[in-house]
Amino acid sequence: MKRQIMLVAAGALAFTGTQSAAVSADREVHVAGFGAKSGVVRSFGVNTEAVMRAAAEKINKEGGIKLGDGTKGKVVVTFYDDRCKAEEGISVVRRIASGKAVVAIGPTCSNVAEPLFGVLQKKAGDASDTGLQFPIFTDTAIKGGLAKISEWAFRNVPNESQMYQSLFKWVKKTNPGFKSVFGGVEEDFAHSRFTWYQVMEKRAAEAGFEVKGRVKWLLNDTNFTTQVRQMKKAKADVISISSHPFTLCGVLKEMKRQRVKYKMLIGLTSSSSMETLRGCSRQAAGIIIPTSYAPVTPAAKEAAAGAAKYNGSADLHSAAAWENMFILKSVIEKTGVMAKADTVQADRRKIRDGLAALKSTGGLIGGIQRTKEGEAVKPYVYVHAQGKEWKILHDPRK
Amino acid sequence: MEFVDYLQAVTDGVMQGAYYALIGIGFTLIFGVMNKINLAYAAAAFGGAYASLGVAALIGTGDDFGLPPLLMFLVSAVAAGLFAWVVYTICFRFTPDHYELATLMATVGAFFLIEEIAVHATDGEPMDFPEVLQGIIDDPMIEFSDAFAVRGDLLTIFLLALIAMGLLLTLLYRTRLGLATRAVAQQRTAAQLCGISVDRTNATTFIIAGVLGGLAGAMIGAAVGVLSPLLFVPLTVKGLIVTVMGGLGSIPGAIVAGLLVGGLENVFLALRGITERDMYVMLLLFLFLAFRPQGLFGKKVLRD
Repeated sequence: MKRQIMLVAAGALAFTGTQSAAVSADREVHVAGFGAKSGVVRSFGVNTEAVMRAAAEKINKEGGIKLGDGTKGKVVVTFYDDRCKAEEGISVVRRIASGKAVVAIGPTCSNVAEPLFGVLQKKAGDASDTGLQFPIFTDTAIKGGLAKISEWAFRNVPNESQMYQSLFKWVKKTNPGFKSVFGGVEEDFAHSRFTWYQVMEKRAAEAGFEVKGRVKWLLNDTNFTTQVRQMKKAKADVISISSHPFTLCGVLKEMKRQRVKYKMLIGLTSSSSMETLRGCSRQAAGIIIPTSYAPVTPAAKEAAAGAAKYNGSADLHSAAAWENMFILKSVIEKTGVMAKADTVQADRRKIRDGLAALKSTGGLIGGIQRTKEGEAVKPYVYVHAQGKEWKILHDPRK
Repeated sequence: MEFVDYLQAVTDGVMQGAYYALIGIGFTLIFGVMNKINLAYAAAAFGGAYASLGVAALIGTGDDFGLPPLLMFLVSAVAAGLFAWVVYTICFRFTPDHYELATLMATVGAFFLIEEIAVHATDGEPMDFPEVLQGIIDDPMIEFSDAFAVRGDLLTIFLLALIAMGLLLTLLYRTRLGLATRAVAQQRTAAQLCGISVDRTNATTFIIAGVLGGLAGAMIGAAVGVLSPLLFVPLTVKGLIVTVMGGLGSIPGAIVAGLLVGGLENVFLALRGITERDMYVMLLLFLFLAFRPQGLFGKKVLRD
């Protein structure tokens, strides 16, 4: 009898286990990623995808996401290439929205994000607006103030204006002898152009620096001799370069050739990546860049290791995808997402509402505040290039 | 800006124009022989430069390139010659002659294929490329005064480009291979009747042009200090401008036009700024097309 009871109990346990496993296996939370995986910004998409997959692996290993009916679902990540082109980004998101995904993380480029957010429903629940009702949680596209375009758009990107304001003030405070700034700007790239004219130049002046001028070049220029000569003539204490890694490296090499003297070099947030160090680590030595990511906490280190496992690297942009995945996990659990075939649209709405309701979230290097416009106020540190690494120079929170 | 600044701008520009000239020669050489444009030419040239980086990375350790820069130029030239032959075989050899757009579109496809291979191999990241005098001279700047200096590395590149052009002209005008190439360029059927293999001559022309392109690709990498897929399109456009301005099929024309475009580009930059520079270069191209469509040294009459 005792043996029979044991057998029945074992059978019941096995049955329950099978049932529970079957439910878990059936319930999948589809999260789409999209960004540039071809063209010259391919590394951004590669890194974001690697980070998303690593985060999904961690979430699934820890048991998955708790759904509205108490069961656990596993996260499934699908990543799409938008080639950093607006029309392809919009097309990709329409395709994603016609499938099972309940939310998307992306895009890489601001020139994709801006028109893409424009095709989303402007005000959630507005029956007269036939715009796409699909939540997008951006990790990379950094141009200021884009999330306010639609109530379905949310971003977890750093606020450059705040970061450079703080950086220039800190430079002035720690180096009162530095009087002047001279700029270099990649004129035909929306982000770098915006950052110089709307951020670096203004924040430097506000901090008490004399802005002696700026030189310009284009994203695919190969010759910087004339611009660097002007830079040299300006004899500024601080050179501030708003430019992406390819031309940043070209300019830094030319500056070295022409023996441009400066006391401090400041760079664009997006250049605090491995790209710069692979292109010109020697010439970039010492360049200071504010960034919202550095592998300084156990979580940040875990994200970096995860990205490396999937052949990517965690940086200012891609690390945000890790944060987004865990923020989404928390939102999905709080809002009772069901992840069933017939609840896809309702789930999307729940996620949107959940993201909109957030006031603060956790982050890899510290807590993140959320604004009403769907933007993030992220903590940041100043890093500087040393050898083949970015090292923390200063943490403004301390 | 003072006069010396313009002089400096022209000097820098003319020296950079040497690699425009090399790219232009490649386009013009192929056009001269086959009467067709190979739009994948600059892409194959950069393919060679990337290959040299790959070989150097295999041999090197850590920060070292593993190969001296000049040897990387050689590897780039050989690899680009090979790529050029592949482009010829795929895009020209078996493409119907009577459908003129076929080869053009095939080379457009080859261009994007090579570009995307480079993007995938490097994730689109800029790759550090050694300067030509790296490891030989620490400071390559030759200063004549506070206001005027010449980049020694660029001067070396300029001289190397001139040597390469000289060798090409010798090859074309002093060897049997050159004679065959010119014969096919002038009268394909007659050349065939004289026993010259048109296919072999065409393939050889592609390889020679590819070798020059590989040198140009490595020179550009060395001049900028970085290789990136961002270079493919602008250098193809510059090469085509140089080819048209020099006169389609004219090698001396491509040389002069390359140096001219390089110099003028820098003058436009100094005078009007970066945002207008390319507008003036394009305007110059339109002026040539309108008033001197045969270019600087092209023939007025069409081929027979």
